[in-house]
Amino acid sequence: MKTQLFITAALCALAVHAQSEAPVGKFQYEINAGLNIGGASPLPLPAQIRKIESFNPDLNLSLGVKASRYFDEHWGLGVALRFENKGMATGAKVKDYGMEIIQDDSRVSGRWTGQVHTEYHSRQLSIPVTAVYRFNKRWQIDFGPYIAIAMKNEFQGYVHNGYLREGDPTGEKAVFEGDARAPYDFSDELRTVQWGLQLGARWMAMNHLSVNANLTWGLNDIFKSSFKTITFDMYPIYLNLGFGYVF
Amino acid sequence: MNLTHTSAALLLCTVLQCGCIKQEPLNAECDILSANLSDDLLNRAPDIRNDKVIFVIRPGVDVTKLAPTFVLTPGATIEPPSGTERDFSTPQTYVVTSENGEWHKTYTVEVDDNANLTLNYNFDKANLVNGYYQFYETDAEGNVTLTWASANPAFVLTGQGKTPEDFPTYMADNGQGSHCVALTTRSTGAFGAMFKKPIAAGNIFIGRFDTGIATTKPLEGTQFGGKPFYDIPLYLQGRYRYTPGEVYQELNDKGKLEDVPGMVDECNLYSVLYEVTPEMEWLDGTNVLSEDNPNIVAVAQFTPEMRQATDGWTDFKISYKYRKELDPQKLLEGKYSITIVASSSVNGDYFAGAIGSTMEVDLLQMLCLSDYVK
Repeated sequence: MKTQLFITAALCALAVHAQSEAPVGKFQYEINAGLNIGGASPLPLPAQIRKIESFNPDLNLSLGVKASRYFDEHWGLGVALRFENKGMATGAKVKDYGMEIIQDDSRVSGRWTGQVHTEYHSRQLSIPVTAVYRFNKRWQIDFGPYIAIAMKNEFQGYVHNGYLREGDPTGEKAVFEGDARAPYDFSDELRTVQWGLQLGARWMAMNHLSVNANLTWGLNDIFKSSFKTITFDMYPIYLNLGFGYVF
Repeated sequence: MNLTHTSAALLLCTVLQCGCIKQEPLNAECDILSANLSDDLLNRAPDIRNDKVIFVIRPGVDVTKLAPTFVLTPGATIEPPSGTERDFSTPQTYVVTSENGEWHKTYTVEVDDNANLTLNYNFDKANLVNGYYQFYETDAEGNVTLTWASANPAFVLTGQGKTPEDFPTYMADNGQGSHCVALTTRSTGAFGAMFKKPIAAGNIFIGRFDTGIATTKPLEGTQFGGKPFYDIPLYLQGRYRYTPGEVYQELNDKGKLEDVPGMVDECNLYSVLYEVTPEMEWLDGTNVLSEDNPNIVAVAQFTPEMRQATDGWTDFKISYKYRKELDPQKLLEGKYSITIVASSSVNGDYFAGAIGSTMEVDLLQMLCLSDYVK
């Protein structure tokens, strides 16, 4: 389904039609597709994270529609609906890192020193409302807030090659070496609604084909505020690169 | 125009900011990593646990003026300082503070010449530690002479111990108005299954339990013995009651439990006297019953018949079978140690047994040569 839309959009884009000047007082519609590159990260990195050993941004697709209305030659307002994936996989070496291993009704919390593997995947419906500024026929930028509603949320991984001090750093030491891994899953602790700011730019490559870049910067912690195990806040920051068809 | 460049620059800033690893935080741990007294005072290597250090000294050493030294987690400090002379007639406490100053751990440091090890064990005294029972024995003056070890500290990790009675080793009513120790083979839940250790037999033993390696090397986590023993054991007697669990299970190739039709679980109880050498200060699950362990001097063990279900409480008396002669000089110097081990599933070490198998033990007594020649 996604791929089909993608191809359709691409084919449509090849059909070159003359496009008029700014449609002042009218709606302009656009469909677009893109890739999200980025991650959910604490800012700045807390001292407990000693080394980022691997980072995989994943192939995160996005598909969207956008409606814009121009009030004059330059200014307009845009509302978009975007189905998108945000994800990443990281491997890090940590020291004295808040951790809770949960498995069915068994849970062990404490401080972990060693390796942590984390996978974050979120499928969201994002709704940005942006002010649009049009420089000329080819260039426009837009800026404004967005809210994102998660339809599927995953934050999980495992710890290995290290030790857990049960409870706090004075607790009993449980060593995990060799193949011993302890999974964790904080998926249920992720927020359903995120919000943030979006800064975008559009360049009309042809009469209907646009090239888009959007930076979305999450402004609330990806976790619910009641979640205390990870002691620092994490923010989703993604750059979306793609193209669209402007009707 | 530069807008794509601007966006790229913004992202780059983010990445750079993320990529900045901060200076390593100061250590939060506050462990005693090693402890020492002058070598000629010690009878064994010091026994260092998470909040306790035990020095086992040679007989006749003056315990009122000892100055133990400690090596700590890097950056941590200890109060009173390492090398301070103190009177160890009673256990002394030390407070270790972490390098970052946020964490403190109080250690009890005791010096033990073990001259009067109790030989009667009635399992009437236990403390609640981290939600489970820890049995101990006292002498006539009420001084603690022995703290029994069990695998309960590792069971905490499974999250299955909601009450003290949910643990594999717990206190129960002995039916005669006082208490006994009860051992029950338990499921370790999802956490245990993850480590391919899906059951935990109830056990109690003289020794210590090392949770640090219990998840990866369980046989080496149960360490038996540890204290010097100055007498010649002849018999071990006591009372017990055993009910095997309904379904015997064992680990298959995939590390999952599999029913073994026709098998009935068995309990076990044994005692081992062994010679302590620098290479083998403790026995552990890999060698405590080995026929070819050269350090073992004598073994008293339940016969196969005794390991079956009992009809109510049953008295037993087993004798120590000597594999070699005791050296009187070594006995005098405290070069021998003894352990007693009881388990609700004889093959529990290998994660085979029946969940629910319950062994209760009471009124254990070691009869030694000195009891007969007085």
